[in-house]
Amino acid sequence: VPFRIDVYFTHQLLTNVPYTHSASRERDVAFEREAIPWIDDVYRFALSLTRDESDADDVVQDTFLRAYRSWHTYLPGSDCRRWLFTICRNVFLRSRERARPTVELEAADVDAAAAGNVYSAAVREGYEDIFSRLDLAPAISDALDKVPEPFRSTLIIVDVEDQSYEAAAEILGVPIGTVRSRLFRGRRLMQEQLLAYAIDAGFGPRRALAEQRRNA
Amino acid sequence: MPETLQETISDECKDVLLHVWDYLDAQLTPDATDALRAHIAVCPPCLQYQEFQEEYMRAMRASRAKKGASWFLKARVLDELFDSGYAP
Repeated sequence: VPFRIDVYFTHQLLTNVPYTHSASRERDVAFEREAIPWIDDVYRFALSLTRDESDADDVVQDTFLRAYRSWHTYLPGSDCRRWLFTICRNVFLRSRERARPTVELEAADVDAAAAGNVYSAAVREGYEDIFSRLDLAPAISDALDKVPEPFRSTLIIVDVEDQSYEAAAEILGVPIGTVRSRLFRGRRLMQEQLLAYAIDAGFGPRRALAEQRRNA
Repeated sequence: MPETLQETISDECKDVLLHVWDYLDAQLTPDATDALRAHIAVCPPCLQYQEFQEEYMRAMRASRAKKGASWFLKARVLDELFDSGYAP
């Protein structure tokens, strides 16, 4: 575009700085526009991985530095948050030098039965409305801490951060089928934890509460 | 769907048990989606099971912490970027 060339040429004449610098300025502007606004999301994701604010700060800082240095690998117009999450998770794994899969998957039929049994137990105990009746945010945080990797990361990305299976597969570097399997197992583990929390914390089942009110 | 899996359940109910998350996450083929939806519409226990799982998903999304990076962290990240040549 002639106008742009003129601007760059003038800039070079006046400053003696090669106008390739203008290309890097365009890169920086794009980085500012597309990557920087996701810092809160990346922080939350980093915090969910590290479970420590100071460690999360370090991971976020490293994530953005790596993202900036490898900005040429980002495809303009693609999902920048997903791209940043991928870098963030890699930074986290590198920082912990943690092997990814630590728990073998169970056979699908066993998992299916177990998933159904959590619901059956909730119905039997009168907690079938547990997820709509209680403020579970603190319990969910605690329960997530107890879910082993790799299920935990998958739950955080899909269930908490509301990312698609495709995004999770890209972030975690696994096939979509693996994301699906991990969700199946991870959700069952979460529901077991949350049901136990509701019972332990003394949240009475709705039926019992209704009886208490009638008797009062 | 019976209360426990020890009881005999129909193939349609078993499909709901196995695939309700795929269904809610829109991971099923259109035909499989239609089949599951049709069964859930006529099976109250399966509808309750679907609603239970939907509430779980809502609770998980709602648990997302509202807080983001501190101003200190944002300044720290920008400082590091500036040191690396970042100049928007």
